Amino acid sequence: MSQIIQILILGLALGGVYALMASGLTLIFGVMRIVNLAHPIMIIGGAFVAYWLFQEPLRIDPIISMPIAFIVLFGVGLVLYKLVFEREAASAKYSEMTVLLTFGVALCGDGLLSTLFTNTQRGTTPSYGAQSYFLGDIFIPKGQLFAGLISIAIIIVLYIFLRYTRFGYAIRATTQNRAAAQLMGVNVGFVSLITFGIGIGLAGAAGALISFVWQFFPAKHWEWIAVLMSLVVLGGMGKLHGAIVAALTLSVIAAFVGTYFGSTWSLLTFFLALFLILLIRPEGLFGEKIEEA
Amino acid sequence: MPELLEAHNVVAGYGRGPDILQGSSLTVRQGQSQCIIGPNGAGKSTLLKAIAGLLPLRQGEIRFKGERIDGLRPDQILRKGIGFVPQERALFPKMTVRENLRMGGYILTDRAELEERTEDVLNQFPILRQRAGQNAGTLSGGEQQMLSMARTQIVKPDIVMLDEPSLGLAPRIVRQMFEIVDMLCDRGMTVVFVEQNVLMGLKHAKWGAVLDLGRTLFDGPAADILGDPRIQELYLGKAAAAA
Repeated sequence: MSQIIQILILGLALGGVYALMASGLTLIFGVMRIVNLAHPIMIIGGAFVAYWLFQEPLRIDPIISMPIAFIVLFGVGLVLYKLVFEREAASAKYSEMTVLLTFGVALCGDGLLSTLFTNTQRGTTPSYGAQSYFLGDIFIPKGQLFAGLISIAIIIVLYIFLRYTRFGYAIRATTQNRAAAQLMGVNVGFVSLITFGIGIGLAGAAGALISFVWQFFPAKHWEWIAVLMSLVVLGGMGKLHGAIVAALTLSVIAAFVGTYFGSTWSLLTFFLALFLILLIRPEGLFGEKIEEA
Repeated sequence: MPELLEAHNVVAGYGRGPDILQGSSLTVRQGQSQCIIGPNGAGKSTLLKAIAGLLPLRQGEIRFKGERIDGLRPDQILRKGIGFVPQERALFPKMTVRENLRMGGYILTDRAELEERTEDVLNQFPILRQRAGQNAGTLSGGEQQMLSMARTQIVKPDIVMLDEPSLGLAPRIVRQMFEIVDMLCDRGMTVVFVEQNVLMGLKHAKWGAVLDLGRTLFDGPAADILGDPRIQELYLGKAAAAA
C-alpha cells in the first residue's frame, strides 16, 4: 500500500510540472490556434536561463530565477509573435501554417542553444534537489515536491488572472469567439501578442523548475513535443483545465508504468495516450466534438 | 436630421474573392431607425460588416459624424460609437449571461459603472436575470438574440447595427425582437438593421434602403418603399402589389 501511495505522490508532483509545461501551449492554441511545436524548446530555453544564473558568480537559486526566466521568455515570445506569426494572422491556412512555422522555430532554437551550450546534459543542483522528506516508509523528493507545488500555484494564479481580470476576460472571450471579442472592443491583435508572450513565459518558468528535476540538453525538446501534445490533446486543445487533468492523470499512470515495467516504458504512456485519444476521441476529454467535413 | 453615418461607393469583398459590394452607399440619420432590404447575395450583411470594420474596403469611404472610419479596427469603431450584432449573435458560449453582458462593456474602464449598467440591463430583461448564471451557449435561440441585443445597451453606442435579428426565430419571438428594436429606438439609439422579413422590417423602421447586386437601388423613407409598386413586386410579391 505504501508503495502505491509513494508512486501516487511522485506522479502527482511531476504531474504539476507537466501541467505547467502544457498550460502555455494550450493557452496559445486556445487564443490563436497556433499548434506551437516550439514550446518544448522554449522550456529548454527557460531551463538554460536558470542554469546560467545558477553558475558562479551569481549562484541564483532556480526557484528565485524562475520569474526572470518567465520575463526573458515572455520577451522572446513577443519578438517571435511580431516577427513570425503576426504577418500570417490573416492567412486562411493560419493554423496549418503555424505548424510549419513553429517547427522551423524549434529547429532554429535547437541550433542556437546547441551552439551556445552544446548538447551536454545539464541541470541545476540546489541543495534541496538531492534531499527528501520522509513520512514513515514514504519519501518525497524535495525538488519534485517544490517544482510540483510551485507549478500548481502558478496555474492557480493564471486561472485567477483569466477568470477575474479585465485582460483575462479579453483572453477568454478571444478564445471563445475571436470576431465577437473584436466587436466588444477587444483589440485581439494585442491580446494575441500578450497571450503568446504569457504562454512562452510559462514555458520559461516551467523550464526553470525542471532544471533541478531532470537533466536537460537542447535536443531533449524533441522527446517532449509528443509528451506535451498528448497532454493538450487528451485534455482538449485549448482547454486549460483539460491539460491539467490530463497532466496529473498521465503522470500518475506513467509513474506506475515506470515502477512496474521499468522507467524506459513510462514515456510510452504519453505516446500511447496520444495515439489512443486521436483514434477514439480526437476532441479530447473536454473539447467540443469535431465536425466532419 | 443630421447625418450620422455615411457610406459612399463602397466596394468590398471577402479575401481575394470578387466584389460583393460594388459601389453601395448608405446614409443614416440621427435617431432614424433604418431597415436594409434586398435579395440574398445583395450585400446587406457585407455592408454592415464593412461599416463595423470586419471587412476592409477596396474602394469608397465611410464617415461617422463626419470623420472617416474606414480602415479602423472593429474595437476602434465601437469606441467611436457604432455597435454591431452579427447574424451569428457573437456570444461567448462558455461565459455566463452576466459575463457576456460584462464583455459588452469591455471598453468601459470604470468597473463600478460597468456593474451598474449590467444591473440596469438585467432589470430591463427579467428573463436574462433569471439566466444570469447560466452559460450563454445553453440559452434558446430567442434568449441568445435577446442577450446579444441587450448587450449593446451596456456601452450605449450612437448606432446599433443588427444583422437579421429575426433569423431562425419563431414568429412570437420575432415580435419580441422587434419590440426590443422599438425600445432601443425610443431610448435614443439609432438602429440600422438588415431584415429578410421585409414587411415587418419596414414597419419598424423610419427609413429604408434597398440593395441589389452590391449596389444601393433606393434610400429613402420606409413608407415610400412600402408604397413603391416596383419594390412591392420585387420583394413583397405580386399579391401585395395588387393589394
